[in-house]
Amino acid sequence: MDNLSQLFVEAGTLMLAGMVFVFAFLGILILFINIVLVKLADKYPDPIIQPKSQRNVAKSGNSATEGISPAIVAAISSAVNQYRQKNSKKK
Amino acid sequence: MESLQTLWMSTGLANFEFGQVVMMLVGCLLLFLAIAKNFEPLLLVPMGFGAILTNIPIAGFSEIGGLLHYIYYAGIDTGIFPLLIFMGVGAMTDFGALIANPKTLLLGAAAQFGIFATLFGAIALNAIPGFEFTLADASAIAIIGGADGPTAIFLASKLAPELLGAIAVAAYSYMALVPIIQPPIMRALTNEQERKIEMAQLRPVTKIEKVIFPLAVLMMTIFFLPAATPLVGMFCLGNLMRECGVVDRLSSTAQNELINIVTIFLGLGVGSKLSADKFLNVETLGILALGAVAFSIGTASGVLMAKLMNKFSQEPVNPLIGAAGVSAVPMAARVANKVGLEANPHNFLLMHAMGPNVAGVLGSAVAAGILLALVGG
Repeated sequence: MDNLSQLFVEAGTLMLAGMVFVFAFLGILILFINIVLVKLADKYPDPIIQPKSQRNVAKSGNSATEGISPAIVAAISSAVNQYRQKNSKKK
Repeated sequence: MESLQTLWMSTGLANFEFGQVVMMLVGCLLLFLAIAKNFEPLLLVPMGFGAILTNIPIAGFSEIGGLLHYIYYAGIDTGIFPLLIFMGVGAMTDFGALIANPKTLLLGAAAQFGIFATLFGAIALNAIPGFEFTLADASAIAIIGGADGPTAIFLASKLAPELLGAIAVAAYSYMALVPIIQPPIMRALTNEQERKIEMAQLRPVTKIEKVIFPLAVLMMTIFFLPAATPLVGMFCLGNLMRECGVVDRLSSTAQNELINIVTIFLGLGVGSKLSADKFLNVETLGILALGAVAFSIGTASGVLMAKLMNKFSQEPVNPLIGAAGVSAVPMAARVANKVGLEANPHNFLLMHAMGPNVAGVLGSAVAAGILLALVGG
C-alpha cells in the first residue's frame, strides 16, 4: 500500500509536470507564430500569381469555346442528327 | 501406424490450445470490424490477419526464424515503422489552419490532459488485485488518450513492449469510435447557443510561414525536449517535404507508397503481439477501459478549454472545435463539423477544427516525449 501511494505521488507529479510542459511548449509556439511568422508573412507575401493564372485559365477557357465557330458546331450537330436518323431507320 | 500418428501430431487440430483459438477469434473480430464496419481498415486488416497468423500452432510465425518475429524486431522494436508512418502523416498534414489561428494550439494542449489523467487512473487500478502496472506501463497505456496510433505504438514499444498488442488494439479501435464517443460528451458540455457560434474566416497563410513552421517546431523540440525529436523530427521532415515545394516526388512517396507499405508491416507486427499469453488477461480489459476513459477526458478538457477561450477572446470561439484537440486527424475535426452543423446548418467548422486537430498531433508527440524523458530514462 505504501508502494501504491508512492506511485500515486509520482503519477501526480508526472501529470503536473506534463501538462505544464505541454502548455509551455505550445504556448511558446503561439508566440513564435504571432511574432515571427506573421512578420515574415508581411515581408514576403506570396507572389500574386494565382489570380493571373486564373485569368489565363479563364481566357484560355473562353478562347477554347470561342475557337469553335458556330458554323462548325452546326455542322457537327447536323452530322450527329443524320447519323442517329440512319441508325434508327436501320433498326 | 506410427507415421499416421506423426502425421496427426503435425496437424493444427491436434496442437490447438484453447488460448490460440480464442486469439484467432479475436483476429477474426478485428477483420470483421475492419471489413464490415469500416473501423480503421487500413491497419486492422493486417493486424487482425497477423493475430491469426501468430496463433497458428507449429508454424511458429512469431518465434525466432518466423516472419512476424523478424517484422516485429526490425520495425516495431526498433521504432522504425511508427516513425516512418509519422513522416507520412507529416507529409499529409496542412498546418495552414493552425498558423492562421495559433491560439488553437492551446486546445491541442488541453486535450492532452486525457493522457495524464489516465496515467493516474492506470496507477489507481493497481488497487484492484490482478493489476500490476508500473509507471512505465501506465504511461504507455495513457498515451492511448493522445488518439494517435503511431505515437502510441512508438511509446509502447519503448516503455511496455509486453502490453503493445492491447495498447495498439485499444488505440486504433477508439480512434475508429471517435464519431460515437465524442458527440455525447460535446453535447453534454455545451449548450445550443454555444454550438451555434460562427467563427471568423481564417486569414490566408503564405508559403514562407508554412515552410518555416516545421523547422521552428523542430528547433523548439531540440532545445526543450530532445526525447521527442524522433517523433517530431520525422513529422517535421514529412511536413517540410510537403510545404517546400521542391521535392513533390518525395512528399508524394511519403504520403502514399511508403506509408502504405509500412502500414502493412506495422499491422502485421502489432498483430504478432496478439498472442494468447500476452492478450488474454485481466490487464487487457483494464487497458481497454482506460483507453475509453482517456478519450473521454481528452475530449472533455478540449471542449472546456475552448469554452474558456470563448469567454476571454475577442473573436468568438465555438467550443465544439476543442474536441478536435485529441488528434485523430481528420476524424475528430469532421465530428466537430458535424455536431456544429446539427445546431446551425450554415456553420462549417471543419477548417477551424483542423487547427486544434493538428495541434493535438503536436501535443501528443510532445506528451510522448515528456513521458519518455521522465519515465523511460
